[in-house]
Amino acid sequence: MGPYDSSVSAGSSSGSSSSCSVKPADPIDGLLAGAGYRVRSSELRQVAQRLERLETVMINAPTEVSHLANDAVHYNPSDLASWVDSLLSELHQPEIAPDPSTFSDLNYIAHAQGGPVLVNPMVGHCELSSGTEIEEDSGIRLVHVLMTCAESVHRGELSLAASFIEELQGLLTSVDGERGIGKVAGYFIDALSRRVFAPQEASLAGSAFENAVLYHHFYEACPYLKFAHFTANQAILEAFDGHDCVHVIDFNLMHGLQWPALIQALALRPGGPPLLRLTGIGPPSPDGHDSLREIGLRLAELARSVNVRFAFRGVAASRLDDVKPWMLQVNPKEVIAVNSIMQLHKLLGSDPSRGSPIDPVLEWIRNLNPKIVMVVEQEANHNQPEFLDRFTEALHYYSTMFDSLEACSAQLEKSLAEMYIQREICNVVCCEGLARVERHEPLDKWRDRLGGAGFTSLHLGSNAFKQASMLLTLFSAEGYCVEENEGCLTLGWHSRPLIAASAWQAMPVLQHPLPLINHHQNVI
Amino acid sequence: MVNLLQNGDVCMEELEEEAPMFCINDNEDVLVEILRRLDGRSLGSAACVCKMWCGIARNDALWEHLCFRHVSPPPSGVRPVVVALGGYRRLYMVCLRPVLSRLGRMRVGLGGGESDLVRRVWTRQEVELSLSLFCVDYYERLLGGGGKLTDAPASSLMFLCKTVNV
Repeated sequence: MGPYDSSVSAGSSSGSSSSCSVKPADPIDGLLAGAGYRVRSSELRQVAQRLERLETVMINAPTEVSHLANDAVHYNPSDLASWVDSLLSELHQPEIAPDPSTFSDLNYIAHAQGGPVLVNPMVGHCELSSGTEIEEDSGIRLVHVLMTCAESVHRGELSLAASFIEELQGLLTSVDGERGIGKVAGYFIDALSRRVFAPQEASLAGSAFENAVLYHHFYEACPYLKFAHFTANQAILEAFDGHDCVHVIDFNLMHGLQWPALIQALALRPGGPPLLRLTGIGPPSPDGHDSLREIGLRLAELARSVNVRFAFRGVAASRLDDVKPWMLQVNPKEVIAVNSIMQLHKLLGSDPSRGSPIDPVLEWIRNLNPKIVMVVEQEANHNQPEFLDRFTEALHYYSTMFDSLEACSAQLEKSLAEMYIQREICNVVCCEGLARVERHEPLDKWRDRLGGAGFTSLHLGSNAFKQASMLLTLFSAEGYCVEENEGCLTLGWHSRPLIAASAWQAMPVLQHPLPLINHHQNVI
Repeated sequence: MVNLLQNGDVCMEELEEEAPMFCINDNEDVLVEILRRLDGRSLGSAACVCKMWCGIARNDALWEHLCFRHVSPPPSGVRPVVVALGGYRRLYMVCLRPVLSRLGRMRVGLGGGESDLVRRVWTRQEVELSLSLFCVDYYERLLGGGGKLTDAPASSLMFLCKTVNV
């Protein structure tokens, strides 16, 4: 049964995967407990691998471990995890240059439901050079200390956290900071140190212009935004079928990159294009420069080139809940599409006096009676009340995202896209209260929320799925996957969904009850 | 060569007399018909032969034929849109060719050159996607040029130019 037998006297530890049922609490593995060893089920694989490594070290360097046979060294082997850790850290490891190409940071952070399980599914583990093990070990240690640091921040022990941050910065030098776990960890360490040392200026929010530039490069470096735009456009196109007067309300115009494709598709639709109105919401621009209007002008130029009657209106608002429905000037005869790409989660922060802005916003959206509401959101749970849960979840999520970004070969786009992601990370990790706007919630929660606000789900058709799949094959990286989830589409990296697109329709508003009842009451 | 003289006699001339030269450059319509049947790469090469060929090969109608001759049914009403967004030649070079070669390679496997693209039937959805990407390209050139159209390919389509790690 392999090396496990020599180190563990009993227990079918090969049942590490089968006996371990992942529960929210951290249960002790029952089989090993029967043999007198206390190991948490979530740590079984990690312990097993370390035991393997210990065996390799012991075989390769018997002189170094001979002292174990002579001295009375008191380690408590029943806590197997710390026993093997302490043994390993005692023994010398040879220094060989690391070979980081054999793994990605995903290997370090598994997608377990419990705590941070560190998994390294490398095949032929014992045959690899110990240099790889150094890198892997440093990487594992890095994540381990990162999590411990987050835990101390969670408990409010800031001086302890500060010392961990120093240790982390030292550990960073022993991993490759340009890729994999080193890169992601670097950003998280940076975010934690901002939170611990400079909480006032922790948020990395830049000017609207900077944000738009970073957004544009994020659009180019990876397919998430393209997927969002194309899927949304397909659904909107189908919703607008047969209507001649259509109005799109975009909750975050940016450079308007989504709309050329819709304008072109409307230009080519059978029966001719409708009159298209676009209302773009965006942050106010400083120094009198009207960036919303400029984007509107470009879009109008494009629409004119392809003979689509087009009208643009810009609504400048620094927050979505500052927008009032009258600013949108909807016409009762037109068919409305509301388009929200990663905006609704910003409304989930709640002010003790006013409550969450999401509810009034959803209400006025519904009162517009839109034909379709497109909602695209990050598929992550970054809005949990406990800091440690958010941190862990964010570490998983952004590691996956950085992993997918590795494939991008355009260096400038990639660096700026990373800066864009870094801002999100900082907001999730450093900010609290109303300053924390990146409150991502998973699709199921959005389903409940939108359902409760009076919306019904519209299934995104097979055309949207086919188009998304086709778009994905155009990207050179092989790991992207489009999945269908009860009528919604998700785009992910290696089966971890990262972004979810869903379409909604307002349920018809109930009529007021008949006045007959009041009449009877008056009579009585 | 046999000559018919004015007096009705027939006279045999020397066979050194050259046969009537058929010069393709004198028969532009034949040239166009031939070029219409080429694939994109050959058409591009043809444009390098001489100035006259260049002028003919750059005729957007030829590229229109190239773009959509294997689309069934052929898309209608597309021409004004494509022309407004930059023309069929640009559509082919910047969007259709990379999209179709990428998608074709995914389906068929490695290998197969430009000639495979010629024979393959393109689905309506592939064409629609290419048109959408073409429109984004136009828009980005509008944005980048500050209102004036530049000719460089926009960065949003750069991902199409990169080789596939299959």
